[in-house]
Order: sequence, then structure tokens, then C-alpha cells
Amino acid sequence: CNSTLDEINKNPNATETPLPPYLLTSTLKQGADLYWGSESNFNSSLLFVQQWAKIQYAEPDRYDVSNTSFTSLWNTGYSTLITDLNTILNFSDQQANSNYKGIALTLRSWTFLLLTDAYGSIPYKEAGLKVTPAYNTQKEVYTGLLEDLKQAQSLLGTANGTVTGDLAYKGNIAKWKKLVNSLRLRIALRISDKEPALAKQAVIDATTDAAGLISSNSEIFQFVYTSSPQQNPASAWFETRDDYRISKTLVDKLYELSDPRLPVYAQLPSDASVGKYVGGANGLSNSAANSQGFAKTSKPGTYFLTSQSPAVIFTYSEVLFDLSEAVARGYIAGDAEQFYKNAITASFNQFGITDATVISNYLNQSIVKYDATNYAKSIGIQKWIAFFGQGLDAFAEWRRLDYPQLTAGPATVLDGQIPSRFFYPGTEQSLNGASYQAAVAVQGKDILTTKLWFDAK
Amino acid sequence: QQIIVKGVVLDESTKLSVIGATIKIKGQNGGAVTDVKGDFSLNVKSLPITLLVSSVGYKNQEIDVYENEPVTAYLSENVNRLNEVVVTALGISKEKKSLGYTMQELKSKDLQNTKETNILNSITGKIAGVRITNSQGDMGSSRIVIRGETSIAGNNQPLFVVDGVPVDNSQLNYGGATRDFKNAIADLNPEDIESLSVLKGPNAAALYGSRAAHGVILITTKSGKGQKGLGVTLTSGITVSNVTTLPDYQNVFGQGSNGKFSYVDGKGGGVNDGVDESWGPKMDGRLIPQFYSNGVAVPFVAHPDNVKDFFNTGLTFDNGISVAGSDAKSDFRLGVNNQKQKGTVPNSEVNKTNFSINANYQLSKNIKVGVTADYVVTSAPTLPGGPSGNRAAGVMLQFLWFGRQVDINELKNNWNNNWNNSYYSNPYWNANYNTTSQQRNRLIGDIHLEAKIIDGLNFKFRTGTDYYNDRRKYTIKYGTSGTPFGSYAEDAYTVDEKNTEAILQYTKKLNEDFSLDALAGFNVRNRSYANNYQKAPRLAVPDLYTLTNSRDALTSSNSFSKLRVYSGYASAQLGYKNYAYLNLTARNDWSSTLPSSNRSYFYPSINGSLVLSEALNLKSNTLDFLKIRGGWSEVGNDADPYQLSTVYNFQTAFDGNPIQTSSQKKLNPDLKPETTRSTELGLESSFLKNRVHFDVAYYNTNSFDQILEIKTTAASGYTSQLINAGKINNHGIEIQLDGTPIEGRNFKWNVGLNYSSNKSKVEILDYDGKIQNYTIGSSGGVDVLASVGKAYGTLYGTAYLRDANGNIVVGANGLPKADPQNRVLGHYTPDWLGGITNTITYKHLELSFLIDASVGGKIFSGTNRTGIYTGVLAQTLPGRDAAHGGLNYYYPGNNTAGTKTLLTTATAPNGETVYDDGVIFTGVYANGSPNTQVISAQEYYKASYNISEAYVYSSSFVKLREVKLTYNFNKKLIKKIGFDGASITATGRNLFFIYKSVPNIDPETAFNTGNAQGLESLALPTTRSFSFNVNLKF
Repeated sequence: CNSTLDEINKNPNATETPLPPYLLTSTLKQGADLYWGSESNFNSSLLFVQQWAKIQYAEPDRYDVSNTSFTSLWNTGYSTLITDLNTILNFSDQQANSNYKGIALTLRSWTFLLLTDAYGSIPYKEAGLKVTPAYNTQKEVYTGLLEDLKQAQSLLGTANGTVTGDLAYKGNIAKWKKLVNSLRLRIALRISDKEPALAKQAVIDATTDAAGLISSNSEIFQFVYTSSPQQNPASAWFETRDDYRISKTLVDKLYELSDPRLPVYAQLPSDASVGKYVGGANGLSNSAANSQGFAKTSKPGTYFLTSQSPAVIFTYSEVLFDLSEAVARGYIAGDAEQFYKNAITASFNQFGITDATVISNYLNQSIVKYDATNYAKSIGIQKWIAFFGQGLDAFAEWRRLDYPQLTAGPATVLDGQIPSRFFYPGTEQSLNGASYQAAVAVQGKDILTTKLWFDAK
Repeated sequence: QQIIVKGVVLDESTKLSVIGATIKIKGQNGGAVTDVKGDFSLNVKSLPITLLVSSVGYKNQEIDVYENEPVTAYLSENVNRLNEVVVTALGISKEKKSLGYTMQELKSKDLQNTKETNILNSITGKIAGVRITNSQGDMGSSRIVIRGETSIAGNNQPLFVVDGVPVDNSQLNYGGATRDFKNAIADLNPEDIESLSVLKGPNAAALYGSRAAHGVILITTKSGKGQKGLGVTLTSGITVSNVTTLPDYQNVFGQGSNGKFSYVDGKGGGVNDGVDESWGPKMDGRLIPQFYSNGVAVPFVAHPDNVKDFFNTGLTFDNGISVAGSDAKSDFRLGVNNQKQKGTVPNSEVNKTNFSINANYQLSKNIKVGVTADYVVTSAPTLPGGPSGNRAAGVMLQFLWFGRQVDINELKNNWNNNWNNSYYSNPYWNANYNTTSQQRNRLIGDIHLEAKIIDGLNFKFRTGTDYYNDRRKYTIKYGTSGTPFGSYAEDAYTVDEKNTEAILQYTKKLNEDFSLDALAGFNVRNRSYANNYQKAPRLAVPDLYTLTNSRDALTSSNSFSKLRVYSGYASAQLGYKNYAYLNLTARNDWSSTLPSSNRSYFYPSINGSLVLSEALNLKSNTLDFLKIRGGWSEVGNDADPYQLSTVYNFQTAFDGNPIQTSSQKKLNPDLKPETTRSTELGLESSFLKNRVHFDVAYYNTNSFDQILEIKTTAASGYTSQLINAGKINNHGIEIQLDGTPIEGRNFKWNVGLNYSSNKSKVEILDYDGKIQNYTIGSSGGVDVLASVGKAYGTLYGTAYLRDANGNIVVGANGLPKADPQNRVLGHYTPDWLGGITNTITYKHLELSFLIDASVGGKIFSGTNRTGIYTGVLAQTLPGRDAAHGGLNYYYPGNNTAGTKTLLTTATAPNGETVYDDGVIFTGVYANGSPNTQVISAQEYYKASYNISEAYVYSSSFVKLREVKLTYNFNKKLIKKIGFDGASITATGRNLFFIYKSVPNIDPETAFNTGNAQGLESLALPTTRSFSFNVNLKF
């Protein structure tokens, strides 16, 4: 009788046995959806850094949001990505080889990085281990991640077994090892204003590691979508809705710089009589946003809005910008200006602009030229342009470098300020109250304008 | 010559024979007494005569006999509480005085003729301790809770048992809320119901085990018992309904923003013509191009009824026929009933046909067999659009984001015309093209056998099923705003529950004083569920609704579940001298849903009753009956299937790569059964010659070891975890009072009153004390919580930031700030419920009216939140211009990006434009000084949109629920034209609110039938209905 009842209660809808390649595919797909999708990207961070703007439902563009507005990064980040990656990490060696674990640890570090960049203090050491995990400070998280990535590097090895289900690098472990070093470089610069010594050591570690860094546009870490229903999330959004325009701030800057990426980044308005690229202004009231005219303003470029458009996560040009800054900060030797020029060139190439004359004409403009007296300004502005569409990282770098200097829109609700972080999900107050209160007590009020630790100025 | 008049005397409600009833001939000598079958025969000299029928415990009855044909006399019970017989758990009839718990019964006359399309709504206000909320509109579902929510997370709906067969009342897939699929119990036809008993909680229902913690509704259907010869009953009714509780709209300002509007393309091409709000120009007849005028400027005027006129008058036709008959060996009843409802939302329609049979046959002297079946076909070509934010279907969504100048007739006449193209399709387009249909075919029935083994020992066997298929089809038309390619989906469910039980019952008079009534039984319950969902997300060609007509791969999902529970149970009632009773029950369940170590669980109950009026001989001229009762009971409850091991789900594969991901719910391999313990005490009394009857009950229920899917921070690895903890206490009192202030030969006035008050307190969530809140549900930024130390159903959300003195803090911009800390905003459960029914009978006319009240509790209103934001509600008029008290202000230098500056004069210093829609939010700056910054009315009314506190209202109400007027035709007269009985009834339902405090909505509105109540979200208006019914018997 007991065995009959046990048999009846065997779940026919799902399996209790996870498999590493399937979990890996899942993490890559869902991670890309999260990074490139609406809530964390084009309905928040892309608006804050004024790369995109809203033409209707402009509340997020006015920062008129609540603590339920930023829940998917938290919930998907932790309970989907990190939980699945931890499942791989907890497999026995028979169930998953060391390369699966190295990849899992790399992707987990990337996820934690997104979380801390956006919210500040986050559960890190106790994440996934306790029902009410304590928060760690950003300093603890960043330094922990540098250690994690060191370990990931040692887990990864071309002789450590094959990996399937890897839709990003197709099982190419050498590329994963380059991504690991590139992530170490990214993190090192995140903490450079606060922990210069640690940052310097991390930069040296990352740049001297034998595996190298992402070193060409063919090594970009990205996720390429296919067709509906597995299409690019921005593309899916534009298929049925019409809420976004490219930001006027960015369009004006690209015009100012005669930047050839403008026709890639923007579409001409559908009203042919306009005849030029027109961005939507950020931070307007709904009616003012609407009044700009749906037909008289530019949507983001079709490059970003096809079904197969990639979710770009780590570019070659970012590596070069990072190296330029690392030199400028004196962490490593080299030619900061050359890295800067190479970074812009890599970005042009990434978007299909390869004409050497066009590139050199652009680089030779005085307003583009590397300013050694203010590397943050040169790198900040160019990184901002190159990061088009990568809202969360553009947001982090803008906060860190403080360039370009952006102005909050006229109808914004933060007394002229632009957000410096995301709200914690409101549910943290009720579900993990004590940990939350302790974190807020250290970090500052859970409001959008509280500056995070890494954001020194 | 002698005429022999034969007849039978039956109990009106049970249709059982009345033995020993006396029959006399009025004005003559002679008479007869009924035999064991209730039969009698009389010798009379001539006809007509009038028979006088009487029996102890029944009211006397006079029957006119015109022709020599068999007479059936139905005796209605006297309100003498000593003899009242009620149907208790497992369908066993018992004398009510022997019960140690309260129970209340409704008879067919209380249920029929109300013509509610959902039977639950006909119970509202009639039974103490029962709370019913209907979700929305005129085709919606209803939620019923008895004695408060005893389960923190689980289903709190009672178990429904129809003729011994447990019947499903799930509301499958209400989660999306795009449509309200009626809860399954609405399939029953009220005309088929003989009686409905409410067993309130574990004390009365312990024998039902696992599912009794929330009470049981026992339904007995009509049978042919007692029908001499063939009886045919025809019923026919028509119901007309209209929407009530529509929001109170303003009719001064039309569509637009900042006072400006001009239509070009309806999506931002004109002046604010993509705006779906009413902050536009005054509707004073000024000339403005509008959506139907092809660019021509036409008068901009109000259409005050543009929302009301969208709704139709609902019409329901209800027709039924039943045939019943019986003889010495058998009885049967066959019925068919059709109900056709055209709803108030255009194109909405539900049809329901019930075929029912109830037949019994005496196989041999000791064996009787029977069958009951109800086959129900519910077919809804289109259900009305639900409350969610679905633009392709939501009705009130569009009408709360709306232009007050919109001429609905222009939309009605051309469905391709539209007032706004950025968000919506024409509402008639939505109603007619974007449809959801439902087809449910259902069989509820059983076969049963009763055998007398020896005197006093009976064997009963029953096997029953409740099986249904429920198919829904969702269509969205090509060209719908937001869904340009349209879509098509099919969602199919199969639910099957089978119960088989065998019971041995032993009744014995032990000696002069003691009697014993005992039973032992065994039940096997099997339930299975299957769901299959498929969707073509974008159609390839228009207007072809098939799954293959798709541009994309189909999205699909399916799920299956099964469970089995074995149960053994026993009960014994020991009676002493007809006034003292002791009742014991015990049950053990073995459930497949629990781990084998915790699978078997036992629970007992004990209760007793003492009729003091008999025991102490207290009967007097004033006191007729006095009883005290009390009991203690425990019931266990199992889990849902498959809650033991955490699983990994497959999602749609990516380009040939399977995708597998962890369930976000962490399951629990060590689950234990839930336990509910309840104590009940009560007192019942009749006095003044049974003219007044009083019943009071107190109960205290503790539910613990509850199986809770606790929401956890995602940082724990899972967004929820299943734990076995949680304790909730419910206690309360219930009072029922029945009185007959006036009773004469022709005139009678009866008053029935019920009152109940339930207090709940969530005591523990997890035993470690780490979890303080359980989220029951959320809407519009408000969470409904079970919060430790508080009443069940706490509303929790954003509040205004306030200073130490309680003043609202505003920023330098003059707008209120939200408190970063969410606050408790109230709880949804009411403090008390009450109902009063007055029934006045004058000769053949019966008038009854029911007023019911729900007092206390809060509701968060999405309708008010939205309608205030969009400026469509009358509440948004103050301050919008000088005539409505608006303050003057100007922008220095006419720089409209600058700061508004308050003016006390009519002109600005440098001749700048003066605006008259200024408002100052009542609040203080951070430094405590009063706010002086003027803002526009539009800013003012939008300022609190994300502050939930602003839209939380008291949900108290007093409602005139029902007025019913019945005329029973004089039996003498209709007999002449061949009828046995005839009546006509006019009923009005949901007539009006005598009191309510929340504006613009019906506070009774529920979100769904789940536990997340207190959240109103753009619900359809409720309806007021009038019905007219004819009932003919021949």
C-alpha cells in the first residue's frame, strides 16, 4: 500500500535529475534575457544613462518608480542563475567536469557583479545557503569575486573535459579563460577609486595571466538569439509595443562628434519629412514625451532590433578601454592613448564600420582625441557611446567615471539628481527584514540617490 | 355509497413518511391514522371534504379533496426544536437536538427563484458565519469562507458534497485574471436542490476528514420520494440585470493633458491625442478635431453616459421541467433545466443545461439501490473581459483610462474607429473579436446500495464520480492594438475525482434509557488532474483560429497530477432519555501526498448535547426549549501532490539545446499533515410558544503545522520554500435569531437574523521565528500578508512619509513623498457580518426582503487609484479651475519649465499667463513648515499614484440584497384547471447600498476566489437584477 501511494506521488511533470549542459544553456539564455531585457536594461539603466528615452509611460524615465520596479534582476539573478550555477558547482566530478564548474563559477561571478553594481550591498557569502542570508558590503563582494575568478581560472583547462550546451563560446575553453581575465580587469577598475592597491594587483594578475584577455571582436562574450519565440528581447518588445526612442542626449552627442555609429544606433523617424535623426528627450512628463511625436523621433537602430540581434555582454573594446585606464592610473605600463584609439576602433568594427579613413578622421577630431589630463572624461564619454545597449554596465561605468555629465530631465522627481542605484526589491523588507535593515544601516537609505561604495564621487 | 379516499402523509422537507399522523374530516366524525408507510384510507360519504391532518412535531394542515384521487399531504415541521431532523455528515439524518455543534440548513424555497447564476450568491447573508464575495460582473465566480480563514496558504473554501459525492469547486487558472472562469460549484442548478446544510468547521464535519477543516456544504437534491403518481413541475424565469456601482465620472474636462487636446492619429500625432487621460480642455462645446471627424473641428462636449451606455441590459432565460414519481418499490425524478444568460458586457454569453436523474429501487425486502446523476453542459461563447491590465480584453481598464468626451456611439457604429491608438482597440472590437470561450462538460453522480443485514444493522455502499472537461479558447484578432498579429490559445483541463465508500451502521435501543447509533466506514478517494495549454503567439493569416495558423513555434505546457487517500472512520452516538447525547468520531487517513513516514494520521472528535428543558423539566409557558452543547475536534489535512522533492523543469528548447532550470520553489521531503483543532460551545433556546428561537455559538479554532509555501528572498536560492509550520487562531461567535412577531390565520411576519464575528490572529509562521510575513498575494504595489501577531489578510504597502506629528511630508516641489518603509494599511477581513430577513405572508402572498451587512475591513481600490490618476472621476474636479476652487498661479517670465508661483491676484506681475488650476497639497516640508508650493491639479491628483495608502478604503457596507414577492395560487382554484400548484415570483437582487464608504466600486468585489482578497483591480461593475418566475406543478 505504501509503495502504491509512493508511486502515485511520483511527479510526472518534471525531473529531479538536473544535467549540466542543460543548466548551462538555461543560464546563458536567461542571463542574456535579464541583461538585455526590459526591466534591468531599457526600462531602467538605459534611461538613467540617457542612451534610450521613453516616449510613453515615461514614469521610469522620470525615476518615478517604486521598490517593486527592480525585482527581476534580484529574483532571476539569485533564484535562477545563481541557483542553477550552484547546482553545477555542487555536482560530483562524475556528474560535471572541471570545465563546467569553471564556467559556472565565471557566470556566477558575473551575476554577483551585476547585482552589487546595481543594488550595492547584497547577500553574497550566505546567498543560496540560508533562508535569510546576511548582506555583504560591496568591498567584500568585489574582493570575493576576484578570488572566485582566480579559482575559476584554475578550474578551466583545455584538457579538463568537453563542455556542451555552451551557446556563447561553443565549448571553447580558451575563450572562457579570456573572459575570466577580462572580468577580473572589469572588477579591478570598479574598485580602483576605493582600493587602488588591490585594484592594481588585480589588473596585473589579469593582464599577466597566460590565458590572456578578450583580444578580438570574434571573442566578444555575447548571446545570439534566433527567431520568435527565442528572439532578442528588445526585438520582441518592439514587435508589439512602441514605448522607446534613442535618447536625444546620445543623438546630439553623436551629431556633435560626427560619429558614424549614429546610423547604426538610430533609425530615421518614420515621418520621412523629418529627414534626420531625432532623439527623444529624457525625463519628460507623459504628455510632453508623447508630444514629441511617435513619427517624428528615432527608434534605436535595426541592428539592435532584429530577432537575431545579440545580447552583448563583454566586448573587446571594453577590454581596450580598461587597459587604457589601467595605464592612465599607472597600474601597468603602456600607451593609454593608443589603447583608447584601439578601443574606439574596435567599437567601430564591432558595428561594421571598418573604413580606415572614416576611423582615422574620427579619431583625429579634437573633441575625440584622448585627453591625458582628464582620462576619465575621454574614456567616460567614449565608453558611454561604445556601451550602447549594455545598460547595466554603462550605468556602472558612468557612475564611476562621472562622464559624460548628464542632466536630469525637467519632470524628474529626484530634485534634479539621477539615480545612483536600484531599489532593493520591496519584498526584502518583509522576507529578509533583519539582514536588509542591517545592510541599509551601513550603506545608507534604500533610495535611488544613495551613492554606492564603489561610486566614490 | 361509500367513497374510499386514500392518501399518504409526508414530511415536507425530507419527503419521508409520517407515521401515526391523524386525519380527520372537518365538520364530520371519523378519521384515520397513517401506517408505517404513511398511508391512510378513509371512508367518506360525499365529496368535496376538507381533511385536517396533524401529527406531533408538525403543523396542522387542511386539505381540500374534490375528486376521489390519492391525496398527498405534506406536513411542515413545527418549529418545535425537539423533533427537528437535519442531514449531518455522510448524509446521515439526525435529530438536531442530539448534535453538539451548530448547523444551519437552507431549504429549496430559500434557494430557488433568486435566479442567481452562481448558487453561492443565493446563500449570501442567510447563514451566520458564512462570508461570500463575488468577484465581478454578472458572470463571475464567488468565494465562500466559513468561520474565517483557517489555512494560511491553502484553499479556504469548504468541501461541497452533493448527495454524498464530493464535488470539485476549483477555479482553474484564475491567475491570469484576463477572464473570470466561474468556480465549478456554479454548475449546480438551484432548482434541483432540496436542501443545503452548512457544517461549520471541523466540529460538524470531522468525519469528512482532510477537507473538513474549512467546513462542508452538504447538498441534497430533489427526489421523487413521496410523489404519488406522476408529478410534473415546470419552471420558467426571466432575469433582467443592469450594471450598478459604475464609477462616478466627471463631465467637465475631456481627453488630453495640461488642458490641451486635438486629434490627428490617436497616437501622439495631434496635440496629446496619444494620451488616454482626461486632463484636457473643458468640454464647453469648443471646436476640436476628434477621432471620428476626419480632422474637422467639432464641438467638444461631455458624454456623461459614455461608459454606462457601453453596457447592455443583461438577460437571463431560465426554463426547466422535472418529472417525478414513486410507487411502493421505487421513486424517481428526472429534470432538465436550461439557463441562457446574455451578459451586460456586449457579446458575453453563458449557456448552461443540466440533466438530472435521481432514482431508487427496492430490489428486495432488504436491499435498495439507487442512482443519481447530474450532467451539466456549460457553454460560454464569450466570457466578459476581466480585471487585469490586459488591453485586448479588459473592459474597465479602458474606461478608467478614458476621454470623457468620447461619444461611445461613434465607437459602436464602427469598430475600426478608435478614440486612442497608442494603447487600446475600440472596446466593441475587444468585446466582439478578442474573445474567450469556455466549454465545460461535467458528470456528477453515484450509484448506491443500502442493505439491511439484521434489525438495526445496515450496510451502505456508494461509488461516485465528479468528472469534467473544461476547454477554453482564447482569440485575439489580427490588428488589435498591442497584438498586431493576433493570437490563439487553447487551454484544456480534465478533472476527475472518484470516491468509493462502504459503511456499516448500527442503531440499537440499549435499554429503557440508553440508545446507540454507531457506524464504521472506509473510503477510497482518487483524484486526477490534467492540463494542456497551447498557444500560437502570432497568427499567420487573420481570422483563422487554429494552432497551426502560426508564425512561430507554438508555446505549450502541460501538467498532470494524481492523488489517492484511503480513510477509515467510525462514529458513535450514545443517547440518554432523549435529552442527553454524547457523540464520538475518529478517522484515520493515508494520503499519497505525504512521505511514507508521515502518511498515516489519526484524528478524533467528541461532542455532546444536553436538552436542559427536558432534563430539568424547565418547560413553561414562556420557555419551550433549552439546549446546551459543546465539543472538541481535530482534523488532519494532507498536502498537494508532488510537494516532496525539488524538481528541475524543462523550458522550450533553444535551437536544439534543451533548457533545464531549477524550480524556484524548494520542496520539503519531510512534510507532516496539517492539523486543525476546534472547540465549540453553544446554546439554543425557543420560547414564547416557539415564536422566538435563539442560537448562539462560540468557537475557537487553531490550525497548526500548516503546509506553507513561504516566500523567501531569492537570495536564499529560491523565491519560496515549503515548510511545515504556521499557526493561526480563529475565534468568534455566531448568533441566529428567528422570530414570528405576528402569526394569524391570514397574516404572518417572520424575522430571521444572523450575526457573526470572527477574529483571526497569525501566531507563528516558522518555528525558528525568522519569517514574520507570508505573502498571500499582491496587486498594484500592495501585498496581502499573513503577518505574525496580526489578523489574517493584512494589507501592506507604501504609505505617505510623515513627520513626528503625523503630517505628510512634501518635497521642495510640493509633492508628497513616499515612506521608504512599507506600512500596514489595514486588513481585509471584516469585523462582523450580519443579515436580516423579513418574511411577511398575507394569504397567498409572500414578501421577503434581506438586508445584509459587512462591517470592518479594508480594500485597496485599483479603480480609484487609476481613475484619480487619469482625471476621469468626479473626485478629481476640485481645484481644476477657478469654478472648482483652483488657485491662481503663474510662471515667472512665462518659463513653463520654471517654478509655479502662487498668485493672490488675478493678474501676474509682468503680465504672464495666469493659470487657475492650482492646488496646494496639505503637508509640511522636511523642516516642519507648511507646504506653500502650488502645483497643478493634474500633478496633484497624480502625486499619490505610487502611494498605496491613498487608495485604501473601508470595505464596510449595508446592502439591500434581495426582495422577493411570491404569489401562491389558491389550490382550490387551480385544481379546477388541472394544476397541483402554481406560483409566480418577482425577485430583485443587489438592489442598492444602504451604506458604503468606498467610492466608485462595490466593496464586495473580490480579486478571485483565492485568499488574496482586499485588492480591487479595475473590476467589472456588479449588477442589479430583477427576475420574474413562474412555477407550475401538475
